[in-house]
Amino acid sequence: MYEMDGEEIFVIDGHVHLWDARTENITHEGGEQFIQCFYDYHTGFTPEEKQWDMEEYRHYGADRMATDLFGNAAADMAIFQPTYLTEFYDEGFNTTEQNAELAEEYPERFVLNGSFDPRDGEEGLRYLEHLKEEYDIPGVKLYTAAWRDDSKGWRLDSDDAFEFLEKCADLGIENINAHKGPTIRPLNRDAFDVKDVDDAASSFPELNFIVNHVGLPRLDDFCWIAAQEPNVYGGLAVASAMSTNRKRKFGEIMGELLYWLGEDRILFGSDYALWNPDWLVDQVMNAELTDEQRDEYGVELDVDTMKKVMGENAARLYDIDIEEKKRQFRDDAVTERFDLADHYGGDAGAAAD
Amino acid sequence: MSGSRTDPGGDAGSADTGDTADAAELTDGPRVVAVRDRLDRVEDPELARSIVELDYVDAIDIDGGRVLVQFTLPTAWCSPAFAWMMAVDARDEVESLAWVDTARIELCDHMHDEEITTGVNARDTFGETFPDADGGVAEVRAAIADKARVSRQREAISTLLDAGVDPAQIVALDRDDVTFDGEAAHVELDGLSVVVDRDPIETYVNRAAASGHVTDAGDTLFLTPEGDQIAPDRLDRVQKRARLADVNMSGQGAVCDALHRARHGSDDESG
Repeated sequence: MYEMDGEEIFVIDGHVHLWDARTENITHEGGEQFIQCFYDYHTGFTPEEKQWDMEEYRHYGADRMATDLFGNAAADMAIFQPTYLTEFYDEGFNTTEQNAELAEEYPERFVLNGSFDPRDGEEGLRYLEHLKEEYDIPGVKLYTAAWRDDSKGWRLDSDDAFEFLEKCADLGIENINAHKGPTIRPLNRDAFDVKDVDDAASSFPELNFIVNHVGLPRLDDFCWIAAQEPNVYGGLAVASAMSTNRKRKFGEIMGELLYWLGEDRILFGSDYALWNPDWLVDQVMNAELTDEQRDEYGVELDVDTMKKVMGENAARLYDIDIEEKKRQFRDDAVTERFDLADHYGGDAGAAAD
Repeated sequence: MSGSRTDPGGDAGSADTGDTADAAELTDGPRVVAVRDRLDRVEDPELARSIVELDYVDAIDIDGGRVLVQFTLPTAWCSPAFAWMMAVDARDEVESLAWVDTARIELCDHMHDEEITTGVNARDTFGETFPDADGGVAEVRAAIADKARVSRQREAISTLLDAGVDPAQIVALDRDDVTFDGEAAHVELDGLSVVVDRDPIETYVNRAAASGHVTDAGDTLFLTPEGDQIAPDRLDRVQKRARLADVNMSGQGAVCDALHRARHGSDDESG
């Protein structure tokens, strides 16, 4: 938890991964390019003294991940967003099964999402059922721009995708996280496209569509769609890291999101291990709008807003009872491991270090 | 700008010229400048900024009438359609110089660098190089031109609002209500003429025409992003959408800039 103006802010990191990009897991040059690209994002928006070297970045393991997330209580909970990329990585890059290693060790601390690819057809539907049964997934993370055999991507508003979304609705998998942002092996297909979210969201009002990276580099298209579709949300991964050395841009993006979506539909995410919540949470909490931005947008990053963005909005989507969690965390396994009993003991506290 | 890279103006021409390097530098100096000036007209379509200003150009190498340009984008994952457009535009700009016979463009460190370099220099089309791409470069260019139109419209409308023109008057303007004279733009409002700065109005008119809108004298001057007439009470909303498009573009520019620095090891930051 974090303390801001004397109030506790419960932090749910809405976007984390447990990936494996060790060279022995890479089966296609795209896998190496992919992790190198991630590393550029990492160093591009991480303070120099917090940067990792490439080897630890390739594979950090469940143990270190728990320490990074919870060791100084920067995050209270985290939501796994799988990224399969089985075309590039032998065992997958960041699958539900890989994520489950840590999620099942500390189930009270993690939300474990699954994934689907409509090009998998009947087999894919069975796999989705399996994920629900095995892990009780409350959501999925989707990569519409992923390559598969001869296909260079798929659309959320296609008939095949609708069949999977229908299945999600049937199974009670309510949170549809779509990667719409920095491209993954794209051709021109997704050069501008978040528009497929529009039709999917209006066709499935019972599902929530969380657009990761707030659509950057299509923030404009994303906000315009979200302004009209009440079940569309913005995930701040990547945007939140801009608070490192592009503070003004971060302020502008927050101003636009608050103007078009409002404070109830924005979700914090670190994109760990792209960036580490153990410093990023503090940085985002301390971000401020300039006077000019306050005038332009008529909004503030005040305690009420930050409470929602940093945790309450995710809690609502994933049925997390924050007060119940705070009681549970007084003596759960993570609290014992990292000696956080005082932190959750009743008085509000800042990050424990 | 990054300090660790080859400055195309400073030592281009020295790459593969061997023991004639000194002579080449002497004769190529102004030619390298001329090539760079042409490349300065090539924009990163996602950012609407010059590839020279963005520091993408790694090397310019001149051998008689043959020019080699090497460039690198901020990530290996930049859209191939955008990379293609920059390569083609660079080729065409350089070849527009009278003394250039052929320009060879090499894209470096991109996931499709070989296909794009081969395709552009063989003068193939994007569709021939990427047969499974769903749609051509033309529609991407059209979408970009439209974003530029909306962005410039915001500045033009703000200029008129600042000059005291009513929203209802602004949305009723036609293309031929605007004339240019020296540094000024004259805007006709029912017999009354308002004089404002020429630059923001003219820039908008040019961008609008480039996007295929507001081309005839009687066309409505200002439009929604979709290209429709603006209702007076929606003008503020249209301006907010244009602001959003600008924030998107400059935000993406910041991302590309950070990635570019990460890739090339420059540590000076701004922002």
